[in-house]
Amino acid sequence: MNAADSADIRDELREVARDLLAKTGRNAAADWRLIADAGWLGLEVPAALDGAGATFAEVAVILEELGRAAAPGPYLGAVVLGIGTLRLVESSQARDELLRSCTAGTTIAAAAVTAAARDTAAESLPFRLDRCAGGLRLHGRAAFVPDAAQAGRLLLFALDPEGAPIVVDAEPGAPGLDVAEQPVLDATRRLGLVTADNVAVAETSLRRFAGDPRAAVRQLLGRAAVALACDSLGLSEAMLDATVAYARLREQFGRPIGSFQAVKHACADMLVQISVGRQLVSAAATKLAGDEPGASVAASMAKSYACSAAVQVAGAAMQLHGGVGYTWESGIHVYLKRALLDRALFGSPAAHRRRLAERYGAAPGLRTWTGR
Amino acid sequence: MTGPLELEEFRTTVSQWCADHVPAGWRRAQTGASDDEFVAFQRAWFAELRGAGFAVPHWPAEWGGGMSAAQQVVLYSELAAHDAPRLVLAFVAIHHAAATLLAAGTDEQRRRHLPAILDGEIWVQGFSEPEAGSDLASLRTTARKEGDRYVVNGQKLWASGAMQADWCLLLARTDPAAPKRHGISYFLLDMRTPGIEVRPIRQATGESHFGEIFLTDVVIPASQLVGAENSGWQVAQQTLGAERGMTILELAERLGNAGFRWLVDACVRPVRGGGEGGRPIDDSLVADRLAAFETEITGLRALCRWLVERHEAGTAGPADPSIVKLYYSELLQRMMDFGAEVAGLAAHTELRKPASSGWESGAWVLDFIGSWEWTIPGGASEIQRTIIGERALGLPREPASGS
Repeated sequence: MNAADSADIRDELREVARDLLAKTGRNAAADWRLIADAGWLGLEVPAALDGAGATFAEVAVILEELGRAAAPGPYLGAVVLGIGTLRLVESSQARDELLRSCTAGTTIAAAAVTAAARDTAAESLPFRLDRCAGGLRLHGRAAFVPDAAQAGRLLLFALDPEGAPIVVDAEPGAPGLDVAEQPVLDATRRLGLVTADNVAVAETSLRRFAGDPRAAVRQLLGRAAVALACDSLGLSEAMLDATVAYARLREQFGRPIGSFQAVKHACADMLVQISVGRQLVSAAATKLAGDEPGASVAASMAKSYACSAAVQVAGAAMQLHGGVGYTWESGIHVYLKRALLDRALFGSPAAHRRRLAERYGAAPGLRTWTGR
Repeated sequence: MTGPLELEEFRTTVSQWCADHVPAGWRRAQTGASDDEFVAFQRAWFAELRGAGFAVPHWPAEWGGGMSAAQQVVLYSELAAHDAPRLVLAFVAIHHAAATLLAAGTDEQRRRHLPAILDGEIWVQGFSEPEAGSDLASLRTTARKEGDRYVVNGQKLWASGAMQADWCLLLARTDPAAPKRHGISYFLLDMRTPGIEVRPIRQATGESHFGEIFLTDVVIPASQLVGAENSGWQVAQQTLGAERGMTILELAERLGNAGFRWLVDACVRPVRGGGEGGRPIDDSLVADRLAAFETEITGLRALCRWLVERHEAGTAGPADPSIVKLYYSELLQRMMDFGAEVAGLAAHTELRKPASSGWESGAWVLDFIGSWEWTIPGGASEIQRTIIGERALGLPREPASGS
């Protein structure tokens, strides 16, 4: 498939997604069944496992449209993290069955990859596996795990007794394993606290990474960061559209407020930020899809820029809508809260910029950052 | 269509050419250079580029260009990576004059001027006036038709390179009674014509990049009208934004290569003459801002490439050139401000910046002051925001007097 064909497929996917999500309406979760039937869950899953055999570039389209609609639902937990994790571990009958079931939408598998969602480093994992007389035991705690309380399966990132990252495939009801909803202000997302206290783990529940475990963890974190950047880009676009539509209609002093420079220029700044953000997000999604060098740098750039911009854009939208914008009914607060949560999840802008800055090195003349 | 393999080969070719031809130590030689030295250096560098086929890559093949947009992107990124000198003197000629001639000129005009530009003909833009800055359409310079010639009177301002120019792209009013955008004509003016006086304007940096042009009973043959009489505003609108994608792309590549490299260097070296002797990068706020700038430059470079692709495919939006111009100029300004802040007092002792360089030269205080040369001319940032709001977003125009 050449680049032009892929672009056409993504355009078509975008159109279908926008229609479907528009029908669902705001504040209502699109039916998971409908989303599964549309094929959005298994976009990256190989055809042999009932998926579409596409790439993250296509998932990015869905993420952006979900952001545009501020759609509730467990896509972040189930697809970005859950299916994302299953694709990184070695194939086995148990893994393949779960991946099929996740693709079909019959099971939601949530993944707990960081101890606190603000982490961006792959060095610390939330759980650890100990070997004792009775076998393997799991300990640890992961907060703000997307869609954990709704999940039928939990994929817990742990350090094995030898200190290597591994995934434990667990049932939420297992003795010692507790999952509690963590209510947050953003009503469109659900986060959970997962605690493991001396949970017995069978060898058959261990899922080893297919490649280098540290690289796999980093890849998943990059994936989560880019996913949130896509979401933020989509919600920024929705906020600009809504603001422009309002500014053309709303009249004060006898003319549409959009004819005032103060309003017009604020809208122009929103468009400029979105235009820059779109380039960064698109580059990050492409690099991630192809597992290209520089993917994690691109992810940090996209995450820090697009998620900061989304908060500014949604904030400007509230301001430019005036009193109406501050009402519950206008729904702008839904976007602002989602943008704020996107910004906080999987690495703050400052945390991502700190990672970028680590590359600048100690000595003048180091040129690792000048990608051509 | 240029495939990825051919592009990589082309990159290697350009890279090797740069290694062989970019004059060593040109920055030092151009720092404090006299006007004559600057002009001589610019002419020599233009000839070098021309010899390699790199001077006017964006022109049609029949006139000596014919490079694909993808190749031009490679060319400019390699020139930037090798910190090659910029074409400053020829800028208006190869971009604005050529775009105007190609879009609206007669065959005769093209044959007369395009080869001459390749031989070094220098052009200046005579658009702005004392009473017509952002509101360019209210310009007052008149061109009165007398038989087969026009007689021009008035004054032009902010003409970049006016002192060296051989020819001028001139906007003048030919119908004082028409609505202001419908009474303007576009002329090619020979700067040797009697009645022209040029005075340099000293700008905030202390240099004189610009001039004032006084026009007293200057005669222009009717054959040097571009487009139809009274359609000059439309011709100017058509050609002003056309070149912006590639010209900003070139500048963005420079900002992303040498520009950012120097900024990082300034941050990882102990501050010269600073009392505390620490490195700026050890301050987490400095590291954070540096990373933010790198992110923004990366976004800008991608935006420019995207715009060039859209322009080539004919799908560019009406405000795309405004978006990149606005973003580049304000990013440049913020980065130079940061450079001046990080470099501290030492930057205040850099009393001259090299001619022929980009807008970032490492003489940060002068670079910062010079950055207003991007946020004001060519449509000030305020004008660009209005264009973006109206043409890209469809917001209503402000009720204005006249049109």
